[in-house]
Amino acid sequence: MTVSDPRTDIPKGARPEEQITTDPSKPAQRMRSGSLVLTLAPWVIASVVLAILPMVFTNNSALTIMNQMSITIVFALAYNMLLGQGGMLSFGHAVYAGVGGFACMHIMNMSDFFSTIPLVILPVFGGLFGMGLAMIVGAFSTRNAGTVFAMISLGVGELIAACSVIIVAFFGGEEGVSGDRTYAQPFFGVEFLQQIEVYYLTAGWVVVSAALMYLWSRTPVGRMANAVRDNPERAEFLGYSSRWVRFYSFVASGFFAGVSGGLFAINYEILTEENLNTASSGIILLVTFLGGVGFFFGPIIGAIAFTLLQTVLSLSTELWAFYAGILFLSTVMFFPGGLAGLLMMHVPVFKLGKASSLIKPYLMTLLPAAIGLMGLAALVEMTFHYRHGATGDNEMTVFWTTFDSHTLMPWLVAGAITLIGLGIAKVTAPALREAWSEATTAGGAS
Amino acid sequence: MSTPALELTGLKKSFGKAEIIRGIDLSIGKAERHAVIGPNGAGKSTLFNLITARFAPSAGTVKLHGEDLAGLEPFQINRKGLSRSFQITNIFPAMTVFENVRCALLWSQGYKYSFWNLVNRSRELTEGADRILDQINLLERRNLPAGTLSYAEQRALEIGITIAGGADVIMLDEPTAGMSNTETDYITDLILKVTAGKTLIMVEHDMSVVFGLADRISVLVYGEIIATGKPADVRADARVQEAYLGAALEAEH
Repeated sequence: MTVSDPRTDIPKGARPEEQITTDPSKPAQRMRSGSLVLTLAPWVIASVVLAILPMVFTNNSALTIMNQMSITIVFALAYNMLLGQGGMLSFGHAVYAGVGGFACMHIMNMSDFFSTIPLVILPVFGGLFGMGLAMIVGAFSTRNAGTVFAMISLGVGELIAACSVIIVAFFGGEEGVSGDRTYAQPFFGVEFLQQIEVYYLTAGWVVVSAALMYLWSRTPVGRMANAVRDNPERAEFLGYSSRWVRFYSFVASGFFAGVSGGLFAINYEILTEENLNTASSGIILLVTFLGGVGFFFGPIIGAIAFTLLQTVLSLSTELWAFYAGILFLSTVMFFPGGLAGLLMMHVPVFKLGKASSLIKPYLMTLLPAAIGLMGLAALVEMTFHYRHGATGDNEMTVFWTTFDSHTLMPWLVAGAITLIGLGIAKVTAPALREAWSEATTAGGAS
Repeated sequence: MSTPALELTGLKKSFGKAEIIRGIDLSIGKAERHAVIGPNGAGKSTLFNLITARFAPSAGTVKLHGEDLAGLEPFQINRKGLSRSFQITNIFPAMTVFENVRCALLWSQGYKYSFWNLVNRSRELTEGADRILDQINLLERRNLPAGTLSYAEQRALEIGITIAGGADVIMLDEPTAGMSNTETDYITDLILKVTAGKTLIMVEHDMSVVFGLADRISVLVYGEIIATGKPADVRADARVQEAYLGAALEAEH
């Protein structure tokens, strides 16, 4: 005999009056018309922002940083087609970007052919080569997701990175392959001599690639990628081979990774082994996870945040990778949804109209925490300087303050700031937690 | 006589030395509602897994509409019109209820692995999925993640996913397991409604469900079918009473 089930709190008896009044086609229509504006708005805004950014940040180094961001965005979105959408963890995805990039460099060096194509379409070739390689590797690696897939991706990554010193004709050995983008056929008179022209080429490709990848996630095979990620066995019993679904995702991801490699080739006019080694593969995993794998726009945020860390932070400290590592660790441990997840957590709060109630508790906790962390960073920097600074050079500058790292006073000050900052944050944290649970619950004061 | 919807001949399965299914011959006609009952460990779920190619049989054949299924993958068998549910709820928990059903419709509506169609644009998909949701009374839960539904609702959703693709042979593995009486009645009505005109094969422990739904019953004990027939005949069979029904009926009272 069956047992009463405590998990069910609502009786599930048929409630015919509600069923009859609900027209099955109506919710769909309502959703469709309402969401059109909502779906288009972010794309229009992003395109406008990309178009006017160079007018705000005019110098060349800013353009370089923004181009780097764009390339990373395309790569991270491609990577998330595997990780977030398809549930495949790859440790060697840089090879598809790298091979695409190398192919583009070789096309640049085929002067007869290169002079007949506009530079704008060069990333397509990168994409095709990335896709070709993904088809070969995917043919055997997508049989399983999980550990087997991860191990194969790592192995193939290592293998191709090792090839870069063996197959010198293609990978150019240790010097890599360099070329000149300006030999391409001028595109409406533009020869891409200036950084700003390259910026708009890259930005255009970001919008097109991101839009295509977004649309992909809305196609039957893109939807089934989610289904296979969640439950491969169930997908099989719906008529889909989970292996083929994974294969198509993998190939599409290889294409866009190749596009990002092509954009890299155009920007830097040189590709080396570094573009496809395991370290680069690791970084794109880090970027994607930092941004958040659960949302389409997560990798975009991750790419922007990481590139800023990499470029801006590395100007002020040699230890930037150390801080990036800590950030990644704390993301994995405390915010597995990444930055996008952190942002989207606040959507219900705004919907309930309680966002203002969070401002004060946030300031009370996050401000002291930030000051405490700055103190901690100062301690790290001082230790580094004390151990590795040149002999006799005891002066150092941290947070706009110059002092002698070999005296006791700065250590005491930094230590005190750390303790007080983090101490206050610890005291105020329960109040923030309470304010949060209040702000995420419907009803109550407001 | 027309070809049976499903025909098993000499089906056997062993895991190592343990023989779980020891030679099963069974023929299930078109539009028949057939229940497989038996004590725990009799091999009912294994039998289901053999038919749907989740496991490969050690010997014997499975024929769907007269066609041998040997060597086919689960997804190929599904495309031939056989669909199943699972004993442990097997849905896509992170996707919305609507998405769950829509995914189940994709193949049967001919979308295959296409990446040139947008699923939101297809009226047939949206309306088809909503029609199924209406049938299983989950229209109100349409946009919730499937994992947040109550247990009975998830079971109903699983039945919805199973029938959505329009398969004509439906296999349900313990659809009412772990449910209260009201929920069991609800699911039983639901099964009757959505499998009308189709061949239904189900494993079930709840005797009231079995005798209420099934046209014929097979009793599986230690990997062998000891009786097959109309509910009344099976109930009267002495071997069945000894092996299984007696104990089950006792437990019921």
